[in-house]
Amino acid sequence: MWRILHAFAIAALIGSAAYVYGVKYRTIYASEQLVKTRHLIGKEKDAIALLRAEYAHLARPDRIQALADSKLGLVPLTLSQIATVDELPDAQPKVDSIGRALESLGFTADNSTPAITASAATPPAR
Amino acid sequence: MAESTTGPSAKPASRARPRLKPLDALADAAILRLRRYLPENFGVDLDPPVARPAPAGPSTAKLKAFGRALLSTRLDRSAARVRIIALGLLVAFAGLGVKLLALGVSHDPPETLKTAADGAVSGARPDLLDRNGLILATDIKTMSVFAEPNRIIDPDEATELLTAVLPDLDAKELRERLSSKKGFIWVKRHITSKEQAEIFHLGLPGIGFLPENKRVYPNGPIGAHVIGYVDEDNVGIAGMEKYLDEQSLTDPHVPGFAVDPNRLKPVRLSLDLKATHALRDELVNGLARYHAKAAAGMIIDVNTGEVIALESLPDFDPNDPGDMRDPMKINRINVGVYEMGSTFKALSLAMALESGKVTLGSHVDARQSLRYGRFTIHDFDATHRVLTVPEVFTHSSNIGAARLALMVGVEGHKAFLKKMGQLDRLRTELPESAEPLVPKHWGLLNTMTIAFGQGLNVAPIQAVMAVCALVNGGMMMTPTFLPRTEAEAEKVSHRVISAQTSESMRYLMRSNATHGSARFANIPGYYVGGKTGTADKIIHGRYSQNKVFTTFMAITPADKPKYLYLTIYDDPQSLPGDYGFHTAAYNAGRTAGLLIRRVEPLEGVPPMKEAPTQPFPIIARLGYGADADRTGKE
Repeated sequence: MWRILHAFAIAALIGSAAYVYGVKYRTIYASEQLVKTRHLIGKEKDAIALLRAEYAHLARPDRIQALADSKLGLVPLTLSQIATVDELPDAQPKVDSIGRALESLGFTADNSTPAITASAATPPAR
Repeated sequence: MAESTTGPSAKPASRARPRLKPLDALADAAILRLRRYLPENFGVDLDPPVARPAPAGPSTAKLKAFGRALLSTRLDRSAARVRIIALGLLVAFAGLGVKLLALGVSHDPPETLKTAADGAVSGARPDLLDRNGLILATDIKTMSVFAEPNRIIDPDEATELLTAVLPDLDAKELRERLSSKKGFIWVKRHITSKEQAEIFHLGLPGIGFLPENKRVYPNGPIGAHVIGYVDEDNVGIAGMEKYLDEQSLTDPHVPGFAVDPNRLKPVRLSLDLKATHALRDELVNGLARYHAKAAAGMIIDVNTGEVIALESLPDFDPNDPGDMRDPMKINRINVGVYEMGSTFKALSLAMALESGKVTLGSHVDARQSLRYGRFTIHDFDATHRVLTVPEVFTHSSNIGAARLALMVGVEGHKAFLKKMGQLDRLRTELPESAEPLVPKHWGLLNTMTIAFGQGLNVAPIQAVMAVCALVNGGMMMTPTFLPRTEAEAEKVSHRVISAQTSESMRYLMRSNATHGSARFANIPGYYVGGKTGTADKIIHGRYSQNKVFTTFMAITPADKPKYLYLTIYDDPQSLPGDYGFHTAAYNAGRTAGLLIRRVEPLEGVPPMKEAPTQPFPIIARLGYGADADRTGKE
């Protein structure tokens, strides 16, 4: 009896030791991964900072102004370019241009749908 | 080798012996083998070979006895062993204790290179952003080469190889520094990755790389006087960069107080990058056009005191500030003190109106020059008639302004200027500021000249602060370079003049734009009001006749001002078509006009088609103010 218990105890001891060993190495691996990832994040952040600085340098107002002056030909806004809503002309009466085109082509004459009477639609009950 | 020859011979011998005493046989063999390797008597020749060790038989018995005694656990026979073990443990624990004590007492961090590097590496700084979130200053990571001179084997070789890769290094100085016995020196800060690879491949011992923060200003000189700059170690030297350090918003760089760079929150300024660029661009153009010595300008939100743009030319590139001791490169808005000329008349008129002794309908005699002792005050554009108060402003009458100031008197004048912040040093977030030059003995003559802006030198930002209060309804607040809402501004401001006086000032500035000296800046659609100022410069202690300092202040829109524009030229020349005029209207006024046209849409203010119907309700009730747009409407 005691021997079996001893055997169990020893087996449990060895088993737990092996488990702890495994956990420990997985922990070490995970923390290494963590450090690596942190390092990568730091690198990416530095790269982002560099790209932001580069973007800001490329989008600096004097460069944009030089490009706009040479390529776009824009002029400053003047008062004559601004109109208020009441200065807009009133809407024209609505014109059915498609209908007018059809009419001129003579399609309007007999394209009315034939009237469906109850007697014609449903066959008489027998 | 010896084993392979002796092994086979030893084994048959042991087998031949009787099996009863295997231990004896093994001991014999071991002793024999030992003897073969050891010289006789350990090399000492003993003459009588008496002391020869006993034969194998008794020695095995002794070994057995020794083994039994070793494994015996009887206490009465183990006293000596217990003592020895106790002593051993005592020594071991004493050793541990001493080491612990030493670790606890010592202050020196063990890794000297790391601490040296930590102290030397430039610290992180928060980004500086403009009011819309555009980057004004940011940190990037760069690599720097360092050396540990005490680990360098051959300083001459190291110098030669390093200068081959980094030719701009001073070889002599580098050799001296590498030959020293220091633990840490910088070889070069902020190298490129190509240079880093080349130095790495040199394989020099004692040479290494450290990542560092480098401050970059992507917009170059735009807003440089406000942003400021940093030194090699990323420590703020001027402008808002220095303010950041003063407010401990940067990594303090003290061992034990390291700040996680990711926790540094970006700092937003009140500057608008695009407006600042527009201001700088117009001033650069103006500087060339009017052949002026220097120019400066400023845009401020009159209701919150936020500085939207500030420029002073000539300026510098904060990425490479160079020699900043050049007095031409100062921030003329904050540090320069000038006689502001006729823009000061706005203050004089406000004082006269506020005192109640004068109304907009009063008349001032400007028929003759004003004499005081041996001094005579003339008008630049003399009218020789009795002027109304608005006419004093629009004709920029020195005589009128002096007479109005005399009505208030010396003490009243002083008290008013003190209240308007013109007699004390104005401090903003920027570390740069200047004390105004106030006359020591302030007599009647001083009051007369200061009334039209000569004889009192103030920093332009001070004058701007006062004019903001004159036009925003009477609330005085310190200009700021950080964002501020109107609610916050209300808390830090106090009333200096009544709302009615403020409205009168707006009316006066508006009429000056429609039929006064500010016509060049009257951009249709923005309801501009303005005031010119032309001060004669003092050359060798005397007022010069042809060297002037011109200022222009404009407000938009004059009925409910939002922005105040200030433009300044130092010693501008007249343009060919201007009949020799180099007064403020012809240079500073024009620049302000261009600026308003350009900046207002940037700030999201479209031009208005119609002038406001009731621009000045309070003074309209009193019967004035209807003619502000007389010429504008005609």
